[in-house]
Amino acid sequence: MPGDVVLEARGLVKDYRRDRAVDGVSLVVHAGERVALLGPNGAGKTTTLLMILGAVSPDRGDVTICGFDLAHHRSRAAERVGFAAGYLPLTERMRVREYLKLYAQLYGIEDPASLIDEGLDRFRITNLADAMGNELSSGQRTLIGIVRATLHRPRLLVLDEPTASLDPDVAQRVRRGLLELCDRDGAAMLMTSHDMSDVEQVCERVVFLSHGRIVADGTPEQVAAAYGRGDLEGVFLHLAERHESSGAQQSDHP
Amino acid sequence: MTTTPSVAQTSERAKTWLRMRAIARRHAYVLWRSPHRLFDVTLWPLVDVLLFGSLATFVGTSGASGPARASAYLLAGIVLWHVIYQSQIALSTGFLEETWTRNLLNIMVTPLREIEYVGGVALFGMVKLAMGVGVMVLGALVFFSFDTWSLGLGLIPVGVVLLIVGWAISLLVIGLVLRFGTGAEALAWGVMFVLLPLSGVFYPTDALPAVMRPVALALPTTHAFTALRSLVDHKGNDWAQLTLAAVGSVVLLGLAMWFLVAMLRVFRKRGYITRYT
Repeated sequence: MPGDVVLEARGLVKDYRRDRAVDGVSLVVHAGERVALLGPNGAGKTTTLLMILGAVSPDRGDVTICGFDLAHHRSRAAERVGFAAGYLPLTERMRVREYLKLYAQLYGIEDPASLIDEGLDRFRITNLADAMGNELSSGQRTLIGIVRATLHRPRLLVLDEPTASLDPDVAQRVRRGLLELCDRDGAAMLMTSHDMSDVEQVCERVVFLSHGRIVADGTPEQVAAAYGRGDLEGVFLHLAERHESSGAQQSDHP
Repeated sequence: MTTTPSVAQTSERAKTWLRMRAIARRHAYVLWRSPHRLFDVTLWPLVDVLLFGSLATFVGTSGASGPARASAYLLAGIVLWHVIYQSQIALSTGFLEETWTRNLLNIMVTPLREIEYVGGVALFGMVKLAMGVGVMVLGALVFFSFDTWSLGLGLIPVGVVLLIVGWAISLLVIGLVLRFGTGAEALAWGVMFVLLPLSGVFYPTDALPAVMRPVALALPTTHAFTALRSLVDHKGNDWAQLTLAAVGSVVLLGLAMWFLVAMLRVFRKRGYITRYT
């Protein structure tokens, strides 16, 4: 039985100059659901995420988060979303605790000290609390970014390549922490990743994009079976090959 | 509809104030932990007051009333010029800091509203403004025995107008950076060098070439500095000039806000955020 609708994207279209980056993407994500948005480079994943986050306006279509229309109530909708990406830097010239406090307050939490301790503890990085942002490795910065994204207990967690720069053991820790969070708070998760084992361990539903369109949507097993592949890696490679060689002429549907 | 209890407990007004304070504190850290940034609010204002104070001393040594008046124009002008300069630079560089550190997406996806962001940066900008202008007022007093406050409380409306113009210019600069990318940031500094001679900061605009005078008269800063010279000449507040300056500055601020909102719309529409990820 699916929970409340947390995210509803309807008919998203985005053109950059003459190229159509996203072509009619519709997506509904329910509370507690963990969804992976997958596809080869240039498939439209990041543009879709940026539209869901309100950083890019769709040319057509709309996004609703927890009932708040993003176009008219961006701030209220954003309060319910947490976002982290492996490629984003930490705000410079701040210690980790100061940085986390800044973002918690941007989400309206007056005194976030206990939430910060809890977040750092969840990912076993309490030792970094007083480190300066520029003293951290890229993996540590990614972890702090994930703590920041989850401090305010979002209803929807959006993660762009969350484990891209992490060692396998740290990536495992992140996966466990995220699963624990989703279970505890009933938060939905929408993530992109190029690591299919990551996706298979964390997500119960995968949505494949190619040429800006959704070409598959289902459980990892259903999607792999629809393409006649043994696993998601096989589906990904198949789509990437067609994406590169065919342009828009060939169908990417199974 | 579900929400996070800790977030829901805070009222919208309290959240706005909380976010503005958070942004102001973020920029306080930038200043505190980047000592070279302190030059903007300590050393450069001091250099300016020394330069123009020395020039004023040289101009005023003849003992005649004309040169003495010109020297007072120079010192009062440079001190008040820093109101507009510091307010403009504080807000512009506050935003540019987010682009230099690729922090824009981090900020944009939070619930922070544009007005809250500008308010937070301007809030800390007031601290920088107080530091920068304070250094100048003190420098003018210590090195050249020029007491800026002897000009009276009439300085306050002049200062407020210049503050508003400084903010308006920085909103225009931010809008241009959103639209054209960081290449447009040179305007943050360059635009002031255009405004400085045209506004008659150190002299009545009659001294400008005739062809430039209509342009000067269209600027609210020109009327603010004319009002300042009235104070220097012990003629009290020139309310007509102050009114023109106030109306002009409010109109300019309104236009700048409209421009910024329009550029932000273009920024989101064209996906320019990817320039900073």
